[in-house]
Amino acid sequence: MFKNIFLFELKYRKARAANYIYFAIMFLLCFLAVTTDVVQIGGAVGQVKENAPIVIGQMIAIMGFFMTLISSAIMGVAVLRDFEHNTEAILFSTPIKKFHYLMGRFWGSYVVLLLVAASLPIAFMLGDLWPMREADRLLPFNLATYWQPYFIFVVPNMFFTGAIFFASGALSRKSIVIYTQGILLLVLYIGTSSLLRDLEQKEIAALCDPFGVRAFSFYTQYWTPGERNSLQIPLDGYILYNRLLWMGVGIVILIINHFAFSFNVVRSSVFRPRAVKDEALRIKPEETKIPVAQQFANLSTHIGQLVKLTLFYFKMVFKEIPFIAIVISGILLLFVNAINLNELFGTSSYPTTYTILGLLSGFNLFFLIIAVLYSGELVWKERAVNLNLIIDAMPMPDFIALISKFLGMLLVYIVLIAGLIVAGMLVQISYGYYNFELGIYIGTLYTETLAFLVLYTMLSMFIHVMVNNKFLGFAVAVAFFILVSFFGQIGLEHPLFQFGSGSLGTYSDMNVYGHFVTPFSWFQVYWFAFVVLLFGIAVVFSSRGSEDVISMRWKAGKLRLSKQLVTLIVCAVAVFLSSGFYIYYNTNVVNRYTNKDGREGLQVDYEKTLKKYEFIAQLRITDVNLKVDLYPSKRDYSAEGYFILKNKTNEPISDIHIQENALNYIKTEKLEFNRKFGVKEKFDRFKYTIYQLAEPLQPGDSVQMNFKTSFVTNGFTDNNASTTSVIYNGTFFNNTYLPSLGYNENYEMSDDNDRKEKKLPEKERMMERNDPRGLSQSLFGDDADHVRFEIVLSTDKDQLAIAPGYLQKSWEEKDRKYFQYKMDAPMCNFFSIISARYEVKRDKWNDVNLEIYYHKGHEYNLDKMMEGMKDALNYYTKHFSPYQYRQVRIMEFPRYATFAQSFANTIPFSEGIGFIAKIDDPDKDIDYVYYVTAHEVAHQWWGHQVMEAGVKGNAMLSESMSQYSALMVLKHKFTPEIIERYLKYELDRYLSGRAGERKKEQPLELVEGQGYIHYQKASLIFFALQDYISEDSVNAAFRRFNQTWRFKDAPYPTSADLLKEIRKVTPDSLQYLIKDMFETITLFENKTDSAFYKEKSKNEFEVTVYASAEKLRADSTGIETPIAINDWIDVGVYGKNKAGKDSLLYLKKHKITQKQNQFKILVKAKPRKAGIDPLHKLIDRHSNDNTKGLVAKR
Amino acid sequence: MQLIIQNLSKTYSNGVQALKDVSLTINKGMFGLLGPNGAGKSSLMRTIATLQEADSGSISLGNIDVLTQKEEVRKILGYLPQEFGVYPKIDAVTLLDHLAVLKGISNKGERKGLVEALLHKTNLWNARNKNLGGYSGGMKQRFGIAQALIANPKLIIVDEPTAGLDPAERNRFLNLLSEIGENTIVILSTHIVEDVKELCTDMAIINKGQVLYKGSPLDAIAEVEGKVWTKTIEKAELESYRQNFRIISERLIGGRPVISVLSHEQPEGGFTRTAADLEDVYFTHIFGNTQKEVAA
Repeated sequence: MFKNIFLFELKYRKARAANYIYFAIMFLLCFLAVTTDVVQIGGAVGQVKENAPIVIGQMIAIMGFFMTLISSAIMGVAVLRDFEHNTEAILFSTPIKKFHYLMGRFWGSYVVLLLVAASLPIAFMLGDLWPMREADRLLPFNLATYWQPYFIFVVPNMFFTGAIFFASGALSRKSIVIYTQGILLLVLYIGTSSLLRDLEQKEIAALCDPFGVRAFSFYTQYWTPGERNSLQIPLDGYILYNRLLWMGVGIVILIINHFAFSFNVVRSSVFRPRAVKDEALRIKPEETKIPVAQQFANLSTHIGQLVKLTLFYFKMVFKEIPFIAIVISGILLLFVNAINLNELFGTSSYPTTYTILGLLSGFNLFFLIIAVLYSGELVWKERAVNLNLIIDAMPMPDFIALISKFLGMLLVYIVLIAGLIVAGMLVQISYGYYNFELGIYIGTLYTETLAFLVLYTMLSMFIHVMVNNKFLGFAVAVAFFILVSFFGQIGLEHPLFQFGSGSLGTYSDMNVYGHFVTPFSWFQVYWFAFVVLLFGIAVVFSSRGSEDVISMRWKAGKLRLSKQLVTLIVCAVAVFLSSGFYIYYNTNVVNRYTNKDGREGLQVDYEKTLKKYEFIAQLRITDVNLKVDLYPSKRDYSAEGYFILKNKTNEPISDIHIQENALNYIKTEKLEFNRKFGVKEKFDRFKYTIYQLAEPLQPGDSVQMNFKTSFVTNGFTDNNASTTSVIYNGTFFNNTYLPSLGYNENYEMSDDNDRKEKKLPEKERMMERNDPRGLSQSLFGDDADHVRFEIVLSTDKDQLAIAPGYLQKSWEEKDRKYFQYKMDAPMCNFFSIISARYEVKRDKWNDVNLEIYYHKGHEYNLDKMMEGMKDALNYYTKHFSPYQYRQVRIMEFPRYATFAQSFANTIPFSEGIGFIAKIDDPDKDIDYVYYVTAHEVAHQWWGHQVMEAGVKGNAMLSESMSQYSALMVLKHKFTPEIIERYLKYELDRYLSGRAGERKKEQPLELVEGQGYIHYQKASLIFFALQDYISEDSVNAAFRRFNQTWRFKDAPYPTSADLLKEIRKVTPDSLQYLIKDMFETITLFENKTDSAFYKEKSKNEFEVTVYASAEKLRADSTGIETPIAINDWIDVGVYGKNKAGKDSLLYLKKHKITQKQNQFKILVKAKPRKAGIDPLHKLIDRHSNDNTKGLVAKR
Repeated sequence: MQLIIQNLSKTYSNGVQALKDVSLTINKGMFGLLGPNGAGKSSLMRTIATLQEADSGSISLGNIDVLTQKEEVRKILGYLPQEFGVYPKIDAVTLLDHLAVLKGISNKGERKGLVEALLHKTNLWNARNKNLGGYSGGMKQRFGIAQALIANPKLIIVDEPTAGLDPAERNRFLNLLSEIGENTIVILSTHIVEDVKELCTDMAIINKGQVLYKGSPLDAIAEVEGKVWTKTIEKAELESYRQNFRIISERLIGGRPVISVLSHEQPEGGFTRTAADLEDVYFTHIFGNTQKEVAA
């Protein structure tokens, strides 16, 4: 019997066209994803090959997730179709067994589903064999690459989702349940992904994900590029557990389904039928007289009709079960995401309104689904329920039907947004934050969000009217979105072509909506006119009555072209064209517009034309004297002043190469020298000019360069050319906005794949460590060594303007404020200019003035910053060298960028990282405000006192040394647990960072601008180093390094110079550490295999630990080779302290010389757990298995 | 007021010619449109109800050009399509009120009275607060009738209105229609001959898009009076009779076939002359040989 039903199911499905369509769609999506850029699903990065097992695996896993939709379509109807086609009565009266019926249907459908899903591996396989692919980006063909992920991910996923949909279809007997089920699965999925962000729950997230994608990424997260190219996806570890778990859930669902499914056709209702009240009054229809009611057809009647219909459709949408399900899912998701707001190191931010708005933007996807789904549903509503002929014969104007549906949707959005605002405020309240800024909520959601919804709703209604087929309408709407995203790739990058373009940008408490409002408004006018035009056309063509053919609809539609409608359409066209022209005038005429090809072409030409000048001998700046007038309200400034340029070479120099900043806003109005000179060559496209002095400048001689440049904002630009550096409140730019000397290597294309496409040679990221050209220039470039600095700043009256140096005087003149700053000693050629409306907090450390310039309302963490500055100054002056300045100033700048940066005694600090951080529990939360402050203050030593050479490894000197310095300040302030937690984050970020390396991983001493190395790995390395050789020794090395190089001009020190000092303080027995930590990429695989203890007496316990230790060395792609181990590694035993927390009973370094080890340790209190390297001082990819709980043994 | 249809033709995009040069003049009172399924009744009615375009021809209602002044027609139109649905999650009062608003009854009080009266009239009052999704076929049909009567329409078009009604409801509805038909144009399409005979002052028979007959039912009956012969035969004989005679109808009485034949004289022994009724006319036009006479 089972066999018959099973075979019948296969036969039945074979004849269904839908299954072939599903197959074709998935096949095409996958095939296009690997052979073209049209479809993008995951993909390879940097050195990872395009058909590496992990890449194919990821794509199959992601597409397998979308297979859920098909799974619901195929599995859901397996039993349901008997109810829908009313064949259940016939079927259930035959003598088939329930088990055979259900299993036959299930397995039959499941096999069909798997055949459809086989489209994924087949498409990827054929795609990779496609002759157009670039052979050097592919690995040799391997069948397992395609089919292993299919069996690991797709087969179990289809089983699990299939079981759910099968059961829900069979039990509910309603197709609507299947749709909502799909959405709930989506939520569960997104829910696990937001849980994953918090590090400690990665294992749980890996298990929770029913699709196994999380388990997969968890398992492979630290795979290096080399491993990504060579390892197949294993059915192992969390991937295996995850698969078993969810297959098990699927089986349980099938069992439940078996017992819950009833063969009865009529089910006993859950609810008791309501007793029908008999009307006391007997009505006699014959005697009823139909009263006369007056019929109107005037404007007020039509308005009444419009209002009534609008409300009617609004209510209708709100009654839809899938709609409610989507909304609830979206809100649930918001609350889940609200648990960890804006995290950094696991520490949350204050729930300021813009943070909440970021959170609420997570709902946009749901909004889009609602807009597309329900605008279509409403257009089709009457026809779907077959009421259209009655409604269409009603005497109302033609436009009312469509407009009321639009307005109904609009009302839905307005109400949903109000709901979101309430939800946002609830989140704020739950965090104990009561500064509700309703204006910002309304200002963002009822403008940007609502505009996007209006545009998409009108567009989607237009599509549905014109296509005049519900399902095709949805398909065309989706196809349109894909098409539009494809516009950019065929060169239509201009926002005038990007449907719905124009954004309000980032909201900042400091700059509010800033200058984004004007372009945003114009783009909205433009697009709104566009959709109104479409809507007008839709009114003409909308089907009223039974005509479907377009020519007939046009025949009927012509009659609708009333004066008003024609006026509307003409106006829409006029507004669309004129706003389009106005935008074009602003972006392309007043400002210069470039597309990606244009920008890249410029980069390529720049390199090809001017690269030859990169290393020619140039003068160096020795004095900077500026007068900068800032006009924040106009977003302009003018900078006038001079540089003194000195010939520090041994040859006379006559050519002076000047590179102006490439930004279009910046124009050089004047540039001259105080000696006789001429222009030798001018490259206007590159804003590059070669001046020639009439008389060459002799070695040691100087020349004064007078210049005036201005930054002028005219109109508005498209996003690519937009700048957030000169703004209404919170202007922040640095000396790169001024003319600079010589070729600027930063303007080149950096990505090797892009370069290859443009036929440029591969590019080294930095110069070799012994390159004399590199040694002669500091990390701040080759324009200068140290400079004398003086500046007069002026700005609007309500702002403060700040630059490095000591305030000499400030005054007001002609309604403007002036500030004169001067540095009393030479500083590095790196300075910032800042202007904003500030509050100031002042304090003193010894005789150093401490100042924080902050935005009113952002007082939360000022004390932590002050404390950070003081503790940092204390530690660094004590251990390294005296502080060279008499002030430290922190100034807040808007959150368009999120970093802090150290200029001489001046530290701009983003609004987005420290000022609104919320450190609740000092025992648990990492106080990154304090930490970042300490790091930036450390740069006053490492970077400003000692400038390093601009060669490989340079960041180890400024960034890594600052990491270490700040970490030591942290170590003396907080508990070891916090430090351990911090290091765990650093370990995770280092391992993830190297997994995503695009070119090659460098050892620390040769780091080339790789943040995951010079920040994250350096934290780990230096912390371990001071643990091995003592903090004092490391500090001594730093101190000597500082003494040797402090305030020196070229040649500059390199990482080798620091390592020389570190070697001196490292005992012979530990010299190997320097090779492991700095010169190579060394990893450990430490694991406690088993551990137990024996109670010898009341306060004597013997702990036995069996631990394995491996030492590995990785090459630049991450391929590892084991090497002999001969290392000192911690072994530790934990007990519990009085507070019930883990505390170390024993921690000591043991010399380890082999893989398998046994340790016997005597402790005096009851031990709880023990292990090898329990504090994670060494870099270990599986840090969770280092310790194990102890069992008692007799 | 008179509804004048002239030379109306319509061919669908799939090639089916739904209306072929249809011309009719319809006066106040009940007008019956008889024809088998697929004859073009609904196409004609939809065209009059402004819901479908014609390829050629014209329709005028008094001074109104129906094909272009749709808005004017809709103001005085009550239309019940052959098949229709309802919003399932809404009750009868709400939807009827909703439709009354669309009809232009803007006074709230008047609308309430009207809706209540219509629900009484169609015997839906007891079910007025029930969701329409739970209505039986007959109840739904009655609801359709109720909505067609909103705002005293001058032109009522009802397409197969009695389908799905039980005999009592059918009677009540037909009475209601004839009551209204006294000063209104009511066009009733049906394939049930009885409906037309009982109610209509005028009628037309159409098949395959063509008008086969127009006139009053009584005239139609008179045309065949005395020419209808019937005979009770055996089942086995049926085939040979079919070949030898132009049978206009076959029915079973007591399990034996009774055939009718149109003829001036007794066609054969055993045939008896029968009083003609409208059904004979109908079948005559649909299957019979008098087509040419009538069309001419």
